[in-house]
Amino acid sequence: MNLGKKSFFSPFAFWANAFKAPTTIRFPKEDLDFFEKPGASPRYRGLHTNDIDKCIGCGTCSEICPTDAITMIESENKKEGTLGRKPQIDYGRCCFCGFCVDMCTTGSLQMSRVYLKNYATPPDKIGDEEVEDIKKHFVLVPDEKFSDDLGYTTPDEYSWLDLERVEMPQMDAEERLQGFIEYVKGFTREQAIKEASRCVECGVCTETCPAHMRIPEYIHEIWEDDPYASVDKMYTENPLPGVCGRVCTHRCETVCSIGHRGEPVAIRWLKRYAVDQLSIDKIKNIAHVFKGGKKEKHVSIIGSGPSGLTCAYYLSVMGYKITIYEAKPLAGGIMRYGIPNYRLPDEALDKDIDVILSMGVEIKTNTEVGRDITIEEIKKNSDAVFIGTGFMESRSTKIKNVDRPGCYRALDLLAKISRGEKIELKEKVVIIGGGNVAFDIGRSIARLQKAEFGKVGVTLTCLEKRDEMLADEEEIIEGQEEGLVIKPGRSPKEVLLDENGNVRGLRTVKCVKIFDDQGRFNPTVDESDVEDYEGYMVVEAIGQAPNYDYLGKDILDKLEIVRGKILTDEYGRTPIEWLFAGGDIVHGPDIIHGVADGHRAAQAIDEYLMNQK
Amino acid sequence: MSDWVEITKIGETDKYETYEYFFGPNHPGMHGNFAYVVDVVGSTIQKVRVSAGLLHRGFEKLMEQNLWFQNISLIPRICVPDPDPNEAAYCTACEKLLGIEIPDRGKFLRSLALEMSRLTSFLMGMGALGAMMGLYSVMYRMMDERDNILVFFEWLTGARIYHMYSIPGGVRRDIPEGFKEKMLKLMDDLEYNLREWDRLLFENPVIHKRLKGIGTIDPVHAVEVGITGPSLRATGYKADVRKDDPYAAYPYLDFDIITTEGGDALARAVQIRKEYEQTINLIRQILKRMPGGDFKVYLGNPLKLRIPAGDAYARVESSKGEFGYYIVSDGGIRPYRISVRGPSLPAGLYLCNEHLPGMRIDDIAIWMASFAVCPPDFDR
Amino acid sequence: MNNNDIAEKIKAVYKDLEVKPKYSNQVEIRADGIDIVGLLAFIKSLGFEHLSNVTCVDWIKEKRFDVIYNVWSYTHKVHITVKSGIDRDNPEIPTVMSLWPQAQVYERETHEMFGVKFLGNPDLSPLFLHNWKDIPPLRKDFDTVEYSKRAYGASSPEGGNE
Ligand code: SF4
Ligand code: SF4
Ligand code: SF4
Repeated sequence: MNLGKKSFFSPFAFWANAFKAPTTIRFPKEDLDFFEKPGASPRYRGLHTNDIDKCIGCGTCSEICPTDAITMIESENKKEGTLGRKPQIDYGRCCFCGFCVDMCTTGSLQMSRVYLKNYATPPDKIGDEEVEDIKKHFVLVPDEKFSDDLGYTTPDEYSWLDLERVEMPQMDAEERLQGFIEYVKGFTREQAIKEASRCVECGVCTETCPAHMRIPEYIHEIWEDDPYASVDKMYTENPLPGVCGRVCTHRCETVCSIGHRGEPVAIRWLKRYAVDQLSIDKIKNIAHVFKGGKKEKHVSIIGSGPSGLTCAYYLSVMGYKITIYEAKPLAGGIMRYGIPNYRLPDEALDKDIDVILSMGVEIKTNTEVGRDITIEEIKKNSDAVFIGTGFMESRSTKIKNVDRPGCYRALDLLAKISRGEKIELKEKVVIIGGGNVAFDIGRSIARLQKAEFGKVGVTLTCLEKRDEMLADEEEIIEGQEEGLVIKPGRSPKEVLLDENGNVRGLRTVKCVKIFDDQGRFNPTVDESDVEDYEGYMVVEAIGQAPNYDYLGKDILDKLEIVRGKILTDEYGRTPIEWLFAGGDIVHGPDIIHGVADGHRAAQAIDEYLMNQK
Repeated sequence: MSDWVEITKIGETDKYETYEYFFGPNHPGMHGNFAYVVDVVGSTIQKVRVSAGLLHRGFEKLMEQNLWFQNISLIPRICVPDPDPNEAAYCTACEKLLGIEIPDRGKFLRSLALEMSRLTSFLMGMGALGAMMGLYSVMYRMMDERDNILVFFEWLTGARIYHMYSIPGGVRRDIPEGFKEKMLKLMDDLEYNLREWDRLLFENPVIHKRLKGIGTIDPVHAVEVGITGPSLRATGYKADVRKDDPYAAYPYLDFDIITTEGGDALARAVQIRKEYEQTINLIRQILKRMPGGDFKVYLGNPLKLRIPAGDAYARVESSKGEFGYYIVSDGGIRPYRISVRGPSLPAGLYLCNEHLPGMRIDDIAIWMASFAVCPPDFDR
Repeated sequence: MNNNDIAEKIKAVYKDLEVKPKYSNQVEIRADGIDIVGLLAFIKSLGFEHLSNVTCVDWIKEKRFDVIYNVWSYTHKVHITVKSGIDRDNPEIPTVMSLWPQAQVYERETHEMFGVKFLGNPDLSPLFLHNWKDIPPLRKDFDTVEYSKRAYGASSPEGGNE
């Protein structure tokens, strides 16, 4: 370029363009084939599309939206694990930043290449109605209308969500086998805050949690580094946070919205972290809120498992006098006698129970109803009765020879092991069952074997195929790490005996199908496929059952019992107005369900007693 | 006299009358929503008062109420023709506070967006300068050319004007497949078309006549009043943030600071013409040297991103000069204070008082275009 | 000279000031209650020719305004942030127009947005806000939602009209 050179004629170079197609005329854009397909770029941030079936209504899109363009409205998708909402976008506010798409937890929200949306207000509407009219046309609910012309989408690697869990420090298998010490070490402060920061505070988990714990709120407090406030938010729904923080079945995590693209937030471990940070006195401070003042009425609770303790706690919060009757020497029910210490150490359980008992709850241990005291007597000196006696009897497969010495039921053994009592241990053991209890006993025995014989010899067999097994996946994996041999898809046939009549193994046949065409439990087996497992001890862990004998015929006649469970309404009310029930005997084995039942029954009992006056 | 009449007589001597004239958004020569209120005698300016605020959006306040990530959607709006320097400066300041270094690929992609943005802004600037002199065909041609680059923005970032491409930690998207080749081809085309710009604008006798001697400033005074960027370099002063206070991928690229002697509007136009060519060259380098690897550091859930307490100033060389973001964090999820230093302020709000008096009304627009005064960046 | 050297140089003269180098090329100076014009003149004489901007931060809890001067040296390629804390109830500070004439505009803006009085600045009239009758809007105690309700009769909780 020579700027000294001016030329009068230079500017006429412009005329060279007279015959070229202009670039700026881009409408309709379809005539351009710059990108592979006509139209806007493959990454174009145009009008949104939303796959309503996939959208869980978590509202994360609306949280990040910098212009507040997104309102959550009711959705037709109300499946489990959704909040029954979907986003609605005000295009008068939307700036097409696409943050909502980058943050969408499920990937249902995407943007299309459609960028035209025209509307002219009809002349008769101009004036007062104009605003409403325009709103109608520019406030849209994204659906699948433009889904065949996708533009800006967010595959997982571009997602803004924190998809990876903070790894939980835990002992390796060899170290775990050394004893019954809790092997999950718990988060450090930094780890907990980091993990808590992954939560988008949507509340999908709260909906699914049987006790409806305020999960996003207590996670928020952990993130704010305030475990006290966090535990405070737990006690409003759950007085057993230390227990649940360790052994809850964490359904919340299966629906956690982060889990759709990555690993769910470690809700359970966070809960445990917060509780572990506080001394028992601090927790007592939190728990000791008396809402209803002192009341004269007296409620008796049978069974000190999760539902009984929860019911006791909330009733004493309301000011009632509580007596718990417990058959065993210590409170806690399944939590103490069913769950091994390496998962739930006594200290954690005692901490929760001590807090509840410190509310002034009276507990009568070693008092079995039906043996030491009758239900009529209990009824006589109380105004209402709650039963939460649980499923404390193990079921049996009733196969041949299973009643011989050397054959055991899981719960009996677990109770002994947890109390440190000696059991007749053998070098090789076969467990029947594939649920969490089977793993609890299998892994407990593995530890004992390790101590006594220096090696593990446990075979675990169950009807279900490997991917259908009922135990938590981590239980199965950790069990295998510890040396448990798992034989899925096998049906137990008979316990094998040696010439002296001692147990020497288990014979199984292949299980083809567990349920029949009507969906009933009725396994089909292939008798030709036989396998024998060596074991001088056989343990059945195929499920538990309740025992209602203590209630007596009069009461039982009035109750409706379906497949072993007592039929109650949502609040644990039975047809007998002073009798309430909850926990396993209503909903089947699950600690957090027990907590939820206990809480709701407490409300129902309060209502009943208040109306009684 | 009724209110709406724009020309108000404000004084008179026995020889002439002085009028107050509102040179505002309704004037075709005004850039954006801004106004100078000038007292004129005939067509000569006596005195000038700035009348800003027509565009005030309270962005600095608004940014204190948003999450760190949400602000990405606001900041490009501070400079419409050249939005990316805002994103880069904001993100660089955040990264300083966070104490992180972004991956090399992220730096190159950020530089790519910055340089593309510089091209679009130069084209708009040169076009506007032409239009201010009545050379509308120049503007049309340049806007046409600018559109060719916007297509690439659309491809890279998903949007044509407000790209929202940089985020604290890197950029939002990796480069699409096939982008590089087509972009290199575009660079050849742009270079080829330079010949046309020379003929249309720089060899055009009109611009020499109109620009020569308008708004002359010497380097010492330019520094003193805070002029930066091409306007400063057009006084012969060697300064460029990309070299002096490097950010993004500039330390890895080969380029020299270009200067022009003169310090008047013509020198500034020539300077932009030179830098345009340099930018094409830089984009070629960026594309050819683009390293592999990650394009961002992941900073965690944006809803809960906290930036450590402290303050940081980050500057970026935009097509108009130094864009600076001074960011204060109290350790929370929202900024405590963000102060934006727009490159147009020294000329647009201060230097006008020195330069405009004595000029003719018809030169105001040229003067503004040559200093690249873009009101949204000070009236934010 | 890099930022450490610069910091040393300033400390040699201003012994009581908190001067700390940070990042790769920045220096932060806390200069409360001293002659700010003198300090900045000294800094300018070290080769800090360019004033990037003058602005302010409202530390409402500490009852303090920090007036911020961002200066840059083309010579040393170093940035200095000078923070001068002033009483929030009586915010006054001398102008630095004598060093950088353009400071006039920054000071005018800061006065408008924070209410800081720059003594000696001839024109502190409103720059951006027309007919503003409220407290300066960038102060932390200015509530935008309340304002839109008060000034525009907004009805929604966010301050818009529903
Ligand atoms: S973030 Fe995605 S899944 Fe959640 S509500 Fe929005 S669109 Fe639905
Ligand atoms: S594109 Fe941006 S502004 Fe629009 S709805 Fe999504 S997040 Fe909100
Ligand atoms: S834990 Fe998961 S489901 Fe629950 S609020 Fe957080 S992100 Fe949502």
